[in-house]
Amino acid sequence: MVEFKNVSMSYEKGHEILKDISFKLEPGSMHFLTGPSGSGKTSLLKLIYLAQKPSCGKILMFGRDVAKAEREDLPALRRRIGVVFQDFRLLDHMSAVHNVALPLRIAGASLAEVSEHVEELLSWVGLGDKMNSNPTALSGGEKQRVAIARAVIRRPDILVADEPTGNVDPKMAERLMYLFVELNKLGTTIVIATHDDALVAKVGAPRLHLIGGKLLQLKGKKGDISMFIENEEISR
Amino acid sequence: MSQSFDFLPTINNREATKLLPWVMAIMVYLSSLAATGSLLLNAGFEDWSSSLQGRITVQVTGDDSELIVVQSLEIQETLRDTPGIKSVQILSNDEISLLLEPWLGAGNITEDLPLPIMMDVMINEGAYINLGALESKIRQISDSVYLDDHAQWLSRFYDLASMVEYMSVGILLMILLVSVCIVIFATKSSMSEHKKTLEIMHLMGAQDKMVARTYQKRFMYYGLKGGVIGLVFSFLTVYGLLNLLQNLSEGFVEMPTLPYLKMYILLLIPALFSLLTMLAARITVLRALGRMV
Repeated sequence: MVEFKNVSMSYEKGHEILKDISFKLEPGSMHFLTGPSGSGKTSLLKLIYLAQKPSCGKILMFGRDVAKAEREDLPALRRRIGVVFQDFRLLDHMSAVHNVALPLRIAGASLAEVSEHVEELLSWVGLGDKMNSNPTALSGGEKQRVAIARAVIRRPDILVADEPTGNVDPKMAERLMYLFVELNKLGTTIVIATHDDALVAKVGAPRLHLIGGKLLQLKGKKGDISMFIENEEISR
Repeated sequence: MSQSFDFLPTINNREATKLLPWVMAIMVYLSSLAATGSLLLNAGFEDWSSSLQGRITVQVTGDDSELIVVQSLEIQETLRDTPGIKSVQILSNDEISLLLEPWLGAGNITEDLPLPIMMDVMINEGAYINLGALESKIRQISDSVYLDDHAQWLSRFYDLASMVEYMSVGILLMILLVSVCIVIFATKSSMSEHKKTLEIMHLMGAQDKMVARTYQKRFMYYGLKGGVIGLVFSFLTVYGLLNLLQNLSEGFVEMPTLPYLKMYILLLIPALFSLLTMLAARITVLRALGRMV
């Protein structure tokens, strides 16, 4: 589904944020992306959701090297990826329903066609009574749930979430994580960037760990954090 | 995938482009005035020149008023016998006085003021008159006869008319250019204001053309709205000005009539501005989005 081969990335002419990253995410897998602040987690996610291009290396997604894809081919690929941003990035001038419906509207559907489906999803994330509220009237946790609903509404092949539980209380964090796990069971490949080690341990999915732009990988075993393998070893 | 929808906030007091329809209204107003002025002058030139074309003015001067009368009658006969000449009419003293009135004032032309004898010669349509030969012929009757086919004056007149028209077109083009620059600036300003929205749309897979369509629709509306307002105000201004000029110039210079049939061209100005606004917005958005990954 997603394969990075010796990928490096730097912004403009700055220093390298990501250095020689290689990993492979199998279809339907779920991974956590961890690491200290500034280690390159968000940059790596940006490469996955096609907001940036690597400086070098190959990124294989949907059977093609997206690093070399033509610009006009990228929108169709992006529509297969759901993103939950750290800062939600909801559109303040739109209600929750309109925000969640956005990916479907972009795909060409009218609001009338999708409203039932959108409302159902919003109810499922516990926002049945806030459908017509604008993000400015929602709490952090509610915004996060709207952002997640927007990311999953089209049943994306890949779901990328950047600190999705960073703004919610532990109970809501668990609930949201349950949502991700359920979605993963339906076949969506999921990558979640988080600082919440307890949550990672609880879910037990394998972890991609970044330190200073280099990748270390923890092979998935619930609660075990002693199995870091250097990036060089993974590529072997 | 081609369906578009308006994902931008509705226009409110904080919108950067809120004033754009009014800017467009002023631009269309100025353009319409320039175009109306050009049409009006053009109509005036046509009226005045058509009244002079196909005519020759013959002037017979001399100190002996009785002699010039006899010579004039002879010249009239000679002209009447010339092929291609439709009519020859000697102007009466009253008619000549009337022509001089705007310069000398009514009642200031006395009996002792030596007036030339003037003839208004009409030429058949399409007929060719060799003026040099004709002048030589009638100069055998009088040395003090002058023929004027107004060619020199008309040529200057046409030069002036062309210059005024070129100036109008130039003014119109400058206004259009400034308008396009304003639209580009407004589009960039709006894109900057809605940067977050555009980024989200981009990352969710919106095609550039879809985003551009939303902008072009909105800017076309601004252009059309401003255009209609500007056109209405320009019509009111022209109507008022014409009435004022008509009153001021009464009896002195004949005012050209507004070429109503050609005025439909003015209706194209808001459409032109609307189209230009739409295209400028579309190209600006596509170029800006093209710089994104």
